[in-house]
Amino acid sequence: METSNMYMLFFLVLPVFLFNIHYGIKMNVQIAIAIFRMIIQLSLIGLVLQWLFDMNTPIVNVIYIILMMTIASYSMLKTTKLSIKTFGLHIWLAVFIPHFLVLLFFNYFIVDLTDIFDAQHLIPIGGMLLGNSLSGNILAINTFYKQIKDGEKTYYYNLSLSASRSEALKPYFVHALKSSISPTIASIETIGLVSLPGMMTGQILGGSIPITAIKYQIAIMIAIFTTRYLTAVLAIYLTRSKAFDNYDRLKPHVIGNS
Amino acid sequence: MIQYIDINKRYGDKVLFKDYNLEIKSGEKILLSASSGSGKTTLIRFLLGFDKPDSGDIVVDDMKLNHHNLKGIREKIAYVSQDTDLPSLTTEALLEKIFSYKVNHHIKDYREKFLALSKTFQLDDQVLSTQIQEFSGGERQRIGLIIALLLNRPYLLLDEITSGLDHDLKALIMKHIIDLDATVIIVSHDALWKSESSLREVNL
Repeated sequence: METSNMYMLFFLVLPVFLFNIHYGIKMNVQIAIAIFRMIIQLSLIGLVLQWLFDMNTPIVNVIYIILMMTIASYSMLKTTKLSIKTFGLHIWLAVFIPHFLVLLFFNYFIVDLTDIFDAQHLIPIGGMLLGNSLSGNILAINTFYKQIKDGEKTYYYNLSLSASRSEALKPYFVHALKSSISPTIASIETIGLVSLPGMMTGQILGGSIPITAIKYQIAIMIAIFTTRYLTAVLAIYLTRSKAFDNYDRLKPHVIGNS
Repeated sequence: MIQYIDINKRYGDKVLFKDYNLEIKSGEKILLSASSGSGKTTLIRFLLGFDKPDSGDIVVDDMKLNHHNLKGIREKIAYVSQDTDLPSLTTEALLEKIFSYKVNHHIKDYREKFLALSKTFQLDDQVLSTQIQEFSGGERQRIGLIIALLLNRPYLLLDEITSGLDHDLKALIMKHIIDLDATVIIVSHDALWKSESSLREVNL
């Protein structure tokens, strides 16, 4: 694909604009801004990645990955409305520890790299793991705390039966974890049948034979699954320590303000 | 013995307790019968640490309630809440869960005792295999009460446990509770409880 051919994309999106005008759907400005933003963002990322790949220095690659994790943690905190001051470090650790370990394991044992910090692997695989565990983690945290808040009386009843805090919280924990991983299980089940995953498509377009693309896809799905699971477990465990007062009551305003 | 000493509590502008004092001796049976909104349930929640007074002390068996001994105090108390907030499980699964908690693990014969008491309190034979949500309010109250009795704790807090029951069942449950050795705090508006002379009625 030549850069000059990219201009033709304008004609691909043109019908949408025309139909919007026809139907009186006033979204053209919004769509134009979104597309413009995407072009700028991806071009900048493209420059940065090119620069990173050209240098390919382990320390810089790791710093970049950590930066990505920090942004992902920030976005989780924002979406779940957890206080950054109280839970920032907890969430960051919950993201960093499983992602970093799974990444290194993946590069060393699965891809069998001599340089496990190689930019060409570390950064795209890291990005895929992060992108996929983000939604799972948000789901886990939201489900966990919302259930306790909404079912406060049942939680208190269990405390009155002398459940320890972890005994009383266990059913909520199990439920939160299940709701976080079940979408991933569903996508593992249907992958290839319903849609071809992005990474596989990319590899095939880039010239890999399908069997190589499939091996990578299997490996990355399992890596994503484990990372998502462990991130959710850690996020709940680590935030839990600060979310309750010394009477085992969920502190007000831990999550959202609804 | 339970002591509430100089309790103050306000919610926003509403003063619920002002320098409130109450002492409940061991083995005593207390009926809290003030009008609703007067803080009866709050007194019970104080004792379990689900709510904190703004000032004042709560003392249980000479232990001043604080976060160090809260767990120990909760272990002395069995509680049946107003809405009997039992989790959504079958009764059998619920019992298994409750008696798997470390503190309750030593009670082994809970299943037999539960069945015996459910017969006394006129619950269905199928009570164990039925989902909690399928029971009526009155049945859930009795299940909650049986669980509290099985825990065999020295203090029993019963918040409106007979409101959904007919006269004969009320009388039956009342008699059972009055014959217990435990210290009991009963929250109720019911005339039947008020007519029972062995209860000390406390108006907030």
